[in-house]
Amino acid sequence: MSRIIASAAIRGGHACVRRAETMLAEALGRHNRNTAIGFPSTAYALPIILALTGKRVEKLGDLEEAVGAARSWLPAEPTEKLWLPYLGGALDAGAATLVAQEAIEALKPLHGIPLEFDYWLGPTTDGILREQGIKLVDGRMPGFAACVGALPDDETAEQLARDLQERNLLVFMGANCAGETMAAQLNRRGVQMNWETFLVPYGPDTSSIVHALGFACRAAFTFGGLKPGGLEETREILLYNQRRVFAFVLALGEVDDEKYATAAGAINFGFPVIADTDIPEILPSGICTYEHVVSNVAHRDMPARAVEVRGVKIHTVEIPIPVRHGPAFEGERVRREEVAIEFGGKYTRCFEYLASRPMDQVQDGLIRVVGPEIGDVPEGARLPLAIFVEVAGRKMQPEFESILERHIHSFLSEPMGVMHLGQRDTVWLRISKKARDAGFRIEHLGTVLLHKLRNDFPAIVDKVQVTLFTESAGVEELYPTAAAAYQSRDERMGALTDERVEIFYSCALCQSYAPNHVCIITPERLGLCGAYNWLDGKAAYEINPHGGNLPVRKGDSVDPVLGQWKGINDFIRNASNGAFERFSAYSMITDPMTSCGCFECIACILPGTGGIMIVDREYAGETPVGMTFSSLAEMTGGGQQTPGFIGIGTIYALSRKFISADGGLARLVWTTTRIKQKLGDRLRQRCEELGKPGFYEKIADETVCTELEPLIEYLATVEHPALEMGEMV
Amino acid sequence: MSLDLKPKKWAGALREVTLGAGSRRPVAVGGGNGLPLHTFEAAFPHRPALALEITDVDPVRWVESVRQPWEGVLGRPAEAARRAVADFGADLLLVHLMGTHTDRGNRSPEQAAADVGAVLEAVNVPLIVKGPGAGQKQNTVLARVAEDCRGEGLALHSATNEDYKTLAAVAVAYGHALVGESPIDVNMAKQLNILLADSNVDLNRVLIDPLTGGLGYGLEYSYSVMERIRLAALGGDAMLNCPIVCLVGEEAWKAKEAKVPADKEPLWGSQRERGIHWEVATAMTLIEAGAEVVVLRHPETLDRIRKQLDSWFGSEPSHDREGVVQNSFRATDEHR
Ligand code: SF4
Repeated sequence: MSRIIASAAIRGGHACVRRAETMLAEALGRHNRNTAIGFPSTAYALPIILALTGKRVEKLGDLEEAVGAARSWLPAEPTEKLWLPYLGGALDAGAATLVAQEAIEALKPLHGIPLEFDYWLGPTTDGILREQGIKLVDGRMPGFAACVGALPDDETAEQLARDLQERNLLVFMGANCAGETMAAQLNRRGVQMNWETFLVPYGPDTSSIVHALGFACRAAFTFGGLKPGGLEETREILLYNQRRVFAFVLALGEVDDEKYATAAGAINFGFPVIADTDIPEILPSGICTYEHVVSNVAHRDMPARAVEVRGVKIHTVEIPIPVRHGPAFEGERVRREEVAIEFGGKYTRCFEYLASRPMDQVQDGLIRVVGPEIGDVPEGARLPLAIFVEVAGRKMQPEFESILERHIHSFLSEPMGVMHLGQRDTVWLRISKKARDAGFRIEHLGTVLLHKLRNDFPAIVDKVQVTLFTESAGVEELYPTAAAAYQSRDERMGALTDERVEIFYSCALCQSYAPNHVCIITPERLGLCGAYNWLDGKAAYEINPHGGNLPVRKGDSVDPVLGQWKGINDFIRNASNGAFERFSAYSMITDPMTSCGCFECIACILPGTGGIMIVDREYAGETPVGMTFSSLAEMTGGGQQTPGFIGIGTIYALSRKFISADGGLARLVWTTTRIKQKLGDRLRQRCEELGKPGFYEKIADETVCTELEPLIEYLATVEHPALEMGEMV
Repeated sequence: MSLDLKPKKWAGALREVTLGAGSRRPVAVGGGNGLPLHTFEAAFPHRPALALEITDVDPVRWVESVRQPWEGVLGRPAEAARRAVADFGADLLLVHLMGTHTDRGNRSPEQAAADVGAVLEAVNVPLIVKGPGAGQKQNTVLARVAEDCRGEGLALHSATNEDYKTLAAVAVAYGHALVGESPIDVNMAKQLNILLADSNVDLNRVLIDPLTGGLGYGLEYSYSVMERIRLAALGGDAMLNCPIVCLVGEEAWKAKEAKVPADKEPLWGSQRERGIHWEVATAMTLIEAGAEVVVLRHPETLDRIRKQLDSWFGSEPSHDREGVVQNSFRATDEHR
């Protein structure tokens, strides 16, 4: 904690408490102790005092105890010699200040000072609290900004108010700077200020800001069901605000002692302070989720910076593009005659690349098209395109880049009239004439990505900026970087082995129809649906810790060959509802993993060959085991352990851990041409790694035969290695 | 030959949830410590409660045979409520505010609150209030109803994984119970309860709607999901041990078998009988799977189920002095 801030806050606290004491003494001199005091139309008495002391103040006399409590929290005023301010001391002073300020506000009417006058609205009634406070709690309103002080001029004041409104933030205003107030500035600009416009001026004194914090406390009482009481209850109320009410203080103009003290009070609630002046910063996290005090922020950057520092998540309900969009349009094709503009395919270079950056290097919401826009080129033009997405987030990790990048496909498939195929540098993108006529431009691809990434991945993405290069120079300049990133990601993924991690991820998404099924996803064995690999599991857990993917610690090894670990087995017992005791990661014979029903492929043993076959879901024909995919699926699925039959994600076949306990890939004697095609060169390469010359060519498929007898003959002819390995069971 | 029963003891038990407060005569559900209807080895303080569904506007899509007993009161919720309680003997009611749906009349939150208010005036049983379906409209409608009817202990139907924060907040603020709806998925049901608990909702005020299919339309899925929820609850999972409510009527009367008139399918017999059978079969199955509250549409169904429950649980529910319905049942020697 900065010495300057702490000292100022403590001095401010003392001054506030003294003022409250004086006003209280005066009031007691003139009025009966039983004189009712309080704010209009509320059941929460003086809410800050109720929250922080647990006491309901309803009569003048009650204030003595409250102000007394505030006094007792104040640390000694720091002098040049006596130096012990620490965060705790300043926070205590802040809490004392809030209590004193609320007392001052409650005493004002007794001193003939109105709370509500001109455009100042004074404290908020319960009726409005019920209507508006819920929006803070249920997320319709992402948070509130308590604006303290005034801007350098009226125009800047209006600009700031508009920027905050645009983000749906509730704006509270209070305090003054040398007599000037933000509300007066807005008033001169003719801006409407009331609860409908979400611009709420409390009062011209710094003490009036306490109503904003009182509002937050009352929301916690009402919608969080929190009860006032002792220290523990107070802690709960503060925590509730810290976790749920995304508020922050904007310190506008000079910050005096009382404002420092009020800010310290707000920090107790987890509300950080963003200042436009050069006050000392308090960066390390502690009470607030991230920074506590950030200073010297330009006015136009204040809303964005505040949103970032407080961790406010803003969800866009309607993505601002001129065409309809949604998963319904995902499969839509744009045919050649409908094309307004086209990128990639076999014609031009078109790629997408998503990179993570430090927080201060991404300008959230910035979308640029570098090169011609849709209107600058003739209809049907083919342009190169680089979709360059830069994201930043407090919890973003470089590992998540590929996951987010993979979503670009579904995001860009959603607008009506946009066709997106492929990924990385195999992208093919078309925009239809209809979409163009409706006003859709290349720039809107960025709009979609911006909002979808922020909406769908709020836990890891805080900021997004998109650059769309549409001329060769830019595209070619970026390409080597992208290509290098693809490669290094692949290498990193390749180097990620089961041995090198301590944690696997579970997936229980399929339990709805296979109640005892659970997938254990390891770096070298992806989920059997093919849609979830280990990194996805990791990211999914980061995004939603209550979701279907949980981290599972491996624990001690039970059998390194089969791939059994104590931690995994314990987890399985529980997650399968006691149905299974053990899972082998690397065997389809001994304690194989269960199969739900959405496996991409089935691997099953072929008696008499010493080998196995792998058949994919699309393959409709007969197989050497005498069953089609669908009859096999019946045997394999349903969440049972069926030795000799497992459902797998196609690319598990490429893993070095592919049924490694049973002999591995060398057991593969038959598969479908579709699988061979899909795995392509990667399968050839894996085959070569086995060190069995000509192995790839020895794997039969449906063009060789679809029955067992001829298969055995074929295997003998080509001398397939499985024949020598002996039967699997 | 005598059968030697070895009673199974479970680590956990269901939470007991009391529906209705204020001017309501409360009905408590749940609290059992064994598998549904295993009265020979477990104690069930409450028998399943039977609700009838009434609507704010004329439910034009209801088939004739289910409209018929409600003739004259469809779309008049207070009158329908009176009939449901006084004539048909419902333990509680589900008020379906279908007319608030943007495509079915788009009635305002104020109108909805007035409708529920009228029902509260007309009868004194607890109410489950169902909105037009998850989304902004439902939130504003139910928030308004919750505020205007504060303290009545309504059960708001329903919060979902994607959209629970508003209803959680108003349930807490105005003292109502909450129904959490999950799409036939035990993990989603659990996740939702975790989220609700995280929003400071007391899980002793929560019912699970696991989303049911009607007979022939996914009922077996519902059955096994409910079975799993119950097994987890009895195993001690404090995030899944809320009582279950099933909207039976809605599903059963959707089935083609319940809707097709006899002249179209002469072999299928009387449409009225068929529909009631369909609803009875669906409801009985779900009660066996563990439903603590079933919401029905046809009073005849309710009557038949009530008789069946009587034969299992011994007697009609009686009311004690506080007005709490004591539909209690404990395993007795006689039943062992
Ligand atoms: S098949 Fe896929 S979605 Fe289903 S449980 Fe396994 S990993 Fe999860």
